Amino acid sequence: MTLSDLHALLPQLILALGATGILMVGAWWPSRAPWVLTGVALSFCAAISAGIVLPTVTEVGGMFGVTPYARFFTILWSILTGLTLLLSLRYAKVHRFAGAEYTALVLFAGAGMSLLSAASSLVGLFLGLETFTLVLYILIAFNRGEAIGAEAGLKYLVMGAVATGFLAFGIALIYASSGSFHLPEAMHGLQIDGQMRPLGLLGWAMLLVAIGFKVSLVPFHLWTPDVYQGAPAPVTGLLATGAKGAMFAALIPLFAALGTLTLELNAVLAALAMLSMVGGTLAALPQRNLKRMLAYSSVVHMGYLLLGLMSGGPDGQRAVIFYLIVYGIATLGAFGVITSFAQADGEPQDYETFRGLGYRHPRRCSALSAFLLSLAGIPPLAGFFGKFGIFHAALKSNHHLLALVGILAALVSVSYYLRPIIVLFMQERPAQRLRPGCTHEFAVLTVCFSLVLYLGLYPGPLLELISQILPSP
Amino acid sequence: MADNLLSLMTFFPLLGMLLILVIPRDNGSLLKSATLVVTLITFVLSLPLAFDDVFTVSGGMHYREFHEWISIGNFFQMNYNVGVDGISLWLVMLTTFIMPIAVLSTWNAVDKNIKGFMALLLLLETGMLGAFISLDLFLFYIFWELMLIPMYFLIGIWGGKNRIYAAVKFFIYTAVGSLLMLVAIIFVYYYAVQSGAPINGFGIQEFYRLAIPSGAQYWLFLAFGFSFAIKVPMFPLHTWLPDAHTEAPTAGSVILAAVLLKMGTYGYVRFAMPLFPDALQTFIPLLAFLSVVGIVYGSLVAMMQEDVKKLVAYSSVAHLGFVMLGIFAMNMQGLAGGMIQMINHGISTGALLLIVGFIYERRHTRLISEFGGLAHKMPIFATIFLIITFSSIGLPGTNGFVGEFLALMGAFESGLRWYAVVATTGVIFAAVYMLWMYQRVMFGKMTNPANENLKDLSAREIVLMVPLLVFVFWIGVYPNTFFEKMNPAMEQLLNQMESKVAVVEQVEQPVVAQMVEYK
Repeated sequence: MTLSDLHALLPQLILALGATGILMVGAWWPSRAPWVLTGVALSFCAAISAGIVLPTVTEVGGMFGVTPYARFFTILWSILTGLTLLLSLRYAKVHRFAGAEYTALVLFAGAGMSLLSAASSLVGLFLGLETFTLVLYILIAFNRGEAIGAEAGLKYLVMGAVATGFLAFGIALIYASSGSFHLPEAMHGLQIDGQMRPLGLLGWAMLLVAIGFKVSLVPFHLWTPDVYQGAPAPVTGLLATGAKGAMFAALIPLFAALGTLTLELNAVLAALAMLSMVGGTLAALPQRNLKRMLAYSSVVHMGYLLLGLMSGGPDGQRAVIFYLIVYGIATLGAFGVITSFAQADGEPQDYETFRGLGYRHPRRCSALSAFLLSLAGIPPLAGFFGKFGIFHAALKSNHHLLALVGILAALVSVSYYLRPIIVLFMQERPAQRLRPGCTHEFAVLTVCFSLVLYLGLYPGPLLELISQILPSP
Repeated sequence: MADNLLSLMTFFPLLGMLLILVIPRDNGSLLKSATLVVTLITFVLSLPLAFDDVFTVSGGMHYREFHEWISIGNFFQMNYNVGVDGISLWLVMLTTFIMPIAVLSTWNAVDKNIKGFMALLLLLETGMLGAFISLDLFLFYIFWELMLIPMYFLIGIWGGKNRIYAAVKFFIYTAVGSLLMLVAIIFVYYYAVQSGAPINGFGIQEFYRLAIPSGAQYWLFLAFGFSFAIKVPMFPLHTWLPDAHTEAPTAGSVILAAVLLKMGTYGYVRFAMPLFPDALQTFIPLLAFLSVVGIVYGSLVAMMQEDVKKLVAYSSVAHLGFVMLGIFAMNMQGLAGGMIQMINHGISTGALLLIVGFIYERRHTRLISEFGGLAHKMPIFATIFLIITFSSIGLPGTNGFVGEFLALMGAFESGLRWYAVVATTGVIFAAVYMLWMYQRVMFGKMTNPANENLKDLSAREIVLMVPLLVFVFWIGVYPNTFFEKMNPAMEQLLNQMESKVAVVEQVEQPVVAQMVEYK
């Protein structure tokens, strides 16, 4: 590893070494808010350094790319880490989190996500994925006192371990078949006479199971609602946006490298996408708990993303990245609102506790409604263009049936996204006052809200940017 | 100024909404006055349109504005492309005219969360104006959906007892329709790109020239038509209307009746018909049939209502049946009748809903059986109510007569003769249900002691009604003011559709074969 390699990995190093430093110094100097704020500062430093420090190499150690594509996601996940920490400031205080440990773990997660998105080899992919999965095992169960938190942590641990097993085995089989870990050679090597080698196909089957677990596609989604419900709200936000998003960011070059071989996986992918869209929708409909509803709805969103991924080509890739971003913003915002309402004795999750809250806390409730409507894809909010892009890509690549199912699922989704809004604003008997928000929470929510609105009215610049960073096929 | 008059007018309410958001929440009267001032300024901003003689000369689009808005990759191009012609002119005017009245009507009616209510009203105004002036299908779709959210909240938060049911029903009906429309919009765009025809984003004027094969036209027309038919609403898609109308607060239902329903009829005239004239020819019998069923069915159901507001809601179904029948006649009289009837319905049904609001504010009930003999206690109210009733029935000398007469005459002269004959019974039914209701509410002995102390209309309420009354008689006596500006645009529309039908028949085959891959 040379100096230029280190130079190229600067943003990830800032996150990881910063986290290590916080962890060590924090052992002697326990404190909360200063450490969290340091974490925020480190994340933004990482984002800025990723933006302005130009690397002199294109790849580090044959595992992680330093392309504009990788840098884009590094910036994205660093900002996400910073926002999550900023959001957790008050939450950590209310729940008496150990500040240094919490901050360090979130920063590690950020570093892991950024490595995963930058992975240019299957080993890099595995390392990046495991880095933040390990961290999430701890973060999800961070509310040690609560049984529900421990349950969530255990579920994620067991499911995650199984998925890791499948992932490792899948990668091994692909390596055995193609003789390379490196992308795109590892994928090109799978080809024989225009078809996929049987061993490679088996490897991909394993890989898809692992991916299914990680991003929660039906039928591998069963952990999702319990983990969402039990994890602390800011952590759920990170899990729902960054962890799943980084996985998709890594899948885009993987599928691009696969090229025409994707056709062999199409039947399975189509089944996964269809099941996720239909299953997630049906499961989300009867929910009366906001976090569980968001969990099932995220399953549907993952189905859309998979549909975009299958569509491939610059159109599909652009649609997936754009969708990831707008979905991430709205989801982070929704969990941000839950975080800002959280009290020491728990977070408001049941619709019953939200009843009439719109009259007491109009700003946060309006923001929550905007996030939900954006997730539902109602114009002029950002989610609309996300869905528009995905369905456009799907129709263009002749996935007519899937696009139709997706459109129907989007239509039905209106029903379960409207329900919390109805409860917030339209039902009488104002609820007891919940916790008043504080400045930094409002700051994060304002950022999310403005972006949801801005990207809904003027998505052009972001789409342009995404077009520029797309990995070359 | 004139360069971006339309944008100024459309987005002024949005600016006003931002202003509303910074006014303290508990200062109700300031919030109401500020909203009133904003809507009045918007009305003033729109006035130059009404006095511009350019509409009497040319039927094309005026006050054009064009900016590039979004381009996705090098494939999709959406533009901010707006303008008005004689067809949208009066609907724009109706919107800016009805808004201050609606705001004024909330003075005593809305007392909870005034800030939210006013902000949503202004957002709604921007959505409505934007939809009427859009010349780009995609822009139209955005504004169309923009209207949905504020109306949903207006019904759901400030509505009556059953408001949530009504709001969700309204939302779901509209969302289903608009999703279909979106798919159709994208399809039209694809077709345009593939056929290599010159296009300008989703600009409708370029789309008008497309010769879409008639097979595809059927499906596209169905998608657009279904979406607009929900909004009109046409029988049998009308079932959301009585709920939404009845549960919405007065201002909400006035806007709903006066403007939002016109979106559907306007959508037919502006989009569904000129874009797919061949399909229209096929579907006219069905659509005319549904219009006539709507007229007769709406009238019969209205007759049996116990609740005045529900009665008005069903009368809307009948009135819009006349509008649709007139439009589908596809000749000048019919179209003119349909267009003027849109304005008429906005004025008279808006006024009726205000009247219902007046008595509801006083008695907190709308059941006909609760009233009787009010005429003795409320002479001014009785007079205004009677005039509006006549206007709604379509008595000669009032606006309703002009519209219904022209629409029926147009239908009679076209191929829809027998439909027109059946529809005429609707006029009789209208007289029955309106006069019967008026008689039960206003005349007879006062039997209910709760009505003894009712006060007559206040100055504010009279001020509210006078502008509406002026237009009832203006359109009734001298409708030419309005027709002279509409005619060129309507003539152009009819000519354009005729010539396009011919074109499609000629080029039917080659265009389909000529699918160019576009990158």
